[in-house]
Amino acid sequence: MSDLLTGYDHGDLFDEVFAPGGVVRPHYRELVGRVRDLTAEDLEHRERIRDAIFRTQGITFTVYGDDDGVERTFSLDLLPRIIPAEEWDVIERGVVQRVTALNRFLDDLYVGEQAAVHEGVVPRWLVHTAEGFRREAFGIPMPHGARCLVSGVDLVRDAQGTYRVLEDNLRNPSGISYVLENRAAMTRVLPRAFAAQRVRPVDHYGPMLLRALRAVAPPAAGDQPVAVVLTPGAYNAAYFEHAFLARQMGIELVEGRDLVVDEHVVSMRTTAGLQRVDVIYRRIDDDFLDPVVFRPDSLLGVPGLLSAARAGNVTIVNAVGNGVADDKAVYAFVPDLIRYYLGEEPVLPNVATYLLWDPEQRAEVLERLDELVVKPVAASGGYGLVIGPHAQDEELAALRSRIEADPRGFVAQEVVALSRHPTLVDGRIEGRHVDLRPFAIAGERVEVIPGGLTRVALRRGSLVVNSSQGGGSKDTWVLGAEAVPDPAADGG
Amino acid sequence: MRLDIHYRTRFAYAGHVSESQNELRACPAIDDRQQLVHYDVRTTPSARVSWYLDYWGTRVDTFGIRLPHTTLEVVAEGTVDTVVPEAVEVHPRRAALTDPAFRDEHLELLQPSPHVALTATIAEVAHRHAGQAADDVVAMAHAVHEGLSALQYAPGATYVGVPVDEVLRAGGGVCQDFAHVAVAMYRSLGVPARYVSGYLFTGDDATGADTDSDEVEVQTHAWVEVAVPGHGWYALDPTNRQQVSERHVTIGRGRDYDDVAPLRGVFLGPPEHELEVDVRLRRLAVGAPAAAGIGREPSRATLAARQRAQQQQQQQQQ
Amino acid sequence: MLARLAENLFTAGRDIERAEATARMVDITYHSLLESPSGERGDAWEQLHEVLGTVAEPDDDALARLVLDRGEPRSVLASVTRAREHVRSVRELVSTELWEVINDLHLTLATTGLARQVDEQPYHLLAGVRRACLTIYGVASDTMPRDEAWRFLALGRLLERAAMTCRLVQVHHQRLEQLSGPSRRLGLGGDPAGLEPGPGDFHQWVTVLKSAAALEAYRRRYRASMDPADVVEFLLLEPDLPRSVAFCLTGARLQLEALAAGRRSRAVREVGRASASLTYRDVSELFAMGLAPFLLDIQARMQRVDAAIAGEFFRHHPSGALHAIASP
Repeated sequence: MSDLLTGYDHGDLFDEVFAPGGVVRPHYRELVGRVRDLTAEDLEHRERIRDAIFRTQGITFTVYGDDDGVERTFSLDLLPRIIPAEEWDVIERGVVQRVTALNRFLDDLYVGEQAAVHEGVVPRWLVHTAEGFRREAFGIPMPHGARCLVSGVDLVRDAQGTYRVLEDNLRNPSGISYVLENRAAMTRVLPRAFAAQRVRPVDHYGPMLLRALRAVAPPAAGDQPVAVVLTPGAYNAAYFEHAFLARQMGIELVEGRDLVVDEHVVSMRTTAGLQRVDVIYRRIDDDFLDPVVFRPDSLLGVPGLLSAARAGNVTIVNAVGNGVADDKAVYAFVPDLIRYYLGEEPVLPNVATYLLWDPEQRAEVLERLDELVVKPVAASGGYGLVIGPHAQDEELAALRSRIEADPRGFVAQEVVALSRHPTLVDGRIEGRHVDLRPFAIAGERVEVIPGGLTRVALRRGSLVVNSSQGGGSKDTWVLGAEAVPDPAADGG
Repeated sequence: MRLDIHYRTRFAYAGHVSESQNELRACPAIDDRQQLVHYDVRTTPSARVSWYLDYWGTRVDTFGIRLPHTTLEVVAEGTVDTVVPEAVEVHPRRAALTDPAFRDEHLELLQPSPHVALTATIAEVAHRHAGQAADDVVAMAHAVHEGLSALQYAPGATYVGVPVDEVLRAGGGVCQDFAHVAVAMYRSLGVPARYVSGYLFTGDDATGADTDSDEVEVQTHAWVEVAVPGHGWYALDPTNRQQVSERHVTIGRGRDYDDVAPLRGVFLGPPEHELEVDVRLRRLAVGAPAAAGIGREPSRATLAARQRAQQQQQQQQQ
Repeated sequence: MLARLAENLFTAGRDIERAEATARMVDITYHSLLESPSGERGDAWEQLHEVLGTVAEPDDDALARLVLDRGEPRSVLASVTRAREHVRSVRELVSTELWEVINDLHLTLATTGLARQVDEQPYHLLAGVRRACLTIYGVASDTMPRDEAWRFLALGRLLERAAMTCRLVQVHHQRLEQLSGPSRRLGLGGDPAGLEPGPGDFHQWVTVLKSAAALEAYRRRYRASMDPADVVEFLLLEPDLPRSVAFCLTGARLQLEALAAGRRSRAVREVGRASASLTYRDVSELFAMGLAPFLLDIQARMQRVDAAIAGEFFRHHPSGALHAIASP
């Protein structure tokens, strides 16, 4: 019998669905059974349903410079990624641990005694030269030390199937709206497959985020703190997410000009007058947040906002200056920070990283440039990334001179052979590389929403999963503890 | 020396402006040669003024005026006791500058910053001066300091933001330019250097000479501090070819002007505005403590603790 | 509700109303002129410019200018483009259906090659715009709860419509009085045996009523009569005609009362006064005091309503640009 999975090339990398030898991993058996019953036409039909759902919901992102009002829909693959309970347990503990340590580090830097720096856990100069280190944020308090209230930790799986942290996103991680919308669509497109498993829900994200935002309201705020989402505006690429989150939480979506600071108190301008705001979940970068302190030409921000935050009258979420902790060179020290602040061994290992200001490491890296991945330390979204094995000679030569001119500006990492997952491509199922971005929320304590955004590189062999670089996504199903059959009892 | 400081800035706008938000850095610092007796900021139209210590330890007073206004006046008044800085009694060799721990501690003040470009010209001139001095950090600092006497003080000749190379080419400028050039040269030589903003009690801006009068009208002043291994910060006033004296009142320190600009702010309305600044210093006939070390420049940790205490205090007042 | 979004909805209401009225009046003027001597053409377009508050440029193609010129801020295309931008900014507050109809209209108007269509055969496009604008209100009315968002949208529409009808009566009344003299119904015509209104005047009054989309309703009420007093009474005072000034101002008052939610409100007071100057009024009083001064007065009152709304609901919206102070 021939089906869509017949002839699937398992490759020699780690495949999420198939164990070596082509045996379906236990937690995928249910799904694979159903996929085998489907024809290409069935899947095509379901893809059409998916597209219709996305279009009517207006789940789109605008492409810059697009003037005709046509917005693109985000690309969701119909085959979900499934994570069994025991794997998720490791991820969850690892993410909680990491975010907890990073929050401690940031609080130490901005309102503490910079102990980790004084004790040499992280080189002082590394902190002082980080683009994301904001001296202007020095002394601004953050209740519960939840400076990274929302964070996204990018995980990849290496050839052995070990989950590793690839990078941290502690400024304005985006993608959670796709997690929720993907789930809503999948329950309609593949309702029976979904119902057959005990998939942990994700739709409590909105209330969870709102609870955390209220938990970090300044003490002066009272019992019913007012939180808002601050967006750069409708032309921002992530505007859909900003509006989505405001809707999920039932709070106001504001732009900078909707807010005004008076006597160090922030208010929004409403038809009934000024209304006090206690917590601002801002999706605007630090540089644009307050023209008094940062770029004076910013029209997106709120003049006087930092002064209001410092006076303890408003909380800015995520805190200002988090970029110092997701600097890709500081990343290399996160395992040490975990040991230093928490006295624990890291649950999730890093990817081997080379620091290019070190002459020895730099020499070695320049020698092996065609085997390594090089990243600019302060960028996000996959911008400026060079994958040695996929790069042209001229590209590598240009990279070499950029590194020599600014060794602090780059790090190099071993290429991780990202795990692959069967993915629907042009009516066929082929293996494509995936990563995973779980989202953590830190309020009074750190919580992780089950699953997260599985991004998939749609081009064959590509390792770049960023949606700004042509990536798609998958719904991520974390199974409840009792849902997975015991592999031993099952006989493999 | 006890000094009364009267700092006043007045903005006249071309029309109604609103939602003005500002930061003032005009308060004398508390450190090992200054003690603050009293300080107060008032604005017209009146606004609630709150303050904090920034990353560099400078007191920043912040205030905003939301309702439409056509002029804004800010008056800061303070009283400060100053003493002569402690003399430098050590003579570390230049090699001490390359000690990794010393460099690491001062890295922020060894690097270029927006107004302090470490250009080839700066490095060349700096090394020429340094080459004439003995193998001693203090002597080298003095050599650069003396070398800057080639520049002419030219009041009103430039605005803040003249590149250091341009100041050298023009052969002079105002005190901010002198300070930026000096900081750039010291950093080029591997000497950590910071820009200092303050007041100088003087009868003559060009020479910095003392005056017989007890009250003078001056402008805000700028000078430099260099880190001497084994001693600490050593302050020099390149504009007036002096060492810093009890007549110098420090407001704050930073990488360059941008970290200590006296007033920054934004407002809504027509862009044109006229600006008046005047600073009056009055010498008071009170015997200030003669001994050095009347305060201590706070460490980062002390600063953080002080800041927390101050925040609590302000919150309780609200 | 955020002041900015309220103002965007209010402005969108105005712009959609303006697009609809402009399309209608351009259509009527264009087609009525097909039957008129060429000498009247310039006059007719000039009057239309006056009603719409636009300025005629010499050697101007009025049709092209009023419909598809992006450079003319009051053209149909400019109004629709603005309305779409404003509704886009409040997508969270309006129904998806409303967004879709506005976006569709905008996409239609942004199609290339329309200029030729307008030049050769404008009826199809203009009728399409009118239908689309009416659909927008129908959809808004049937899919939005009666919340603040709805009320600001409706308020903008009602006030724009009242102002438009006022200017329509004002412009044409002056012209027609010069031609046909004062109302005979009110016995102001002097010689009762004087001239009957000429066919040209009749034709013009018909155009005025059509411009207010009120001809059919007028005929049912007044039959074949075409007395200036009847027309003015119908367009200004008729409480049941959706485009009469009295109807619009009463509607605006109801919206504002709901928006003020029991607070003391200058906007409610101003709109109440404007509305009261029309209700319980007899058309003979209007003519007795002079229609022209009356129309100026009612327009001044409506401007006070606009100012009061801006001051009361949108006042916290920042004005002017942000500037950094020069470093001392």
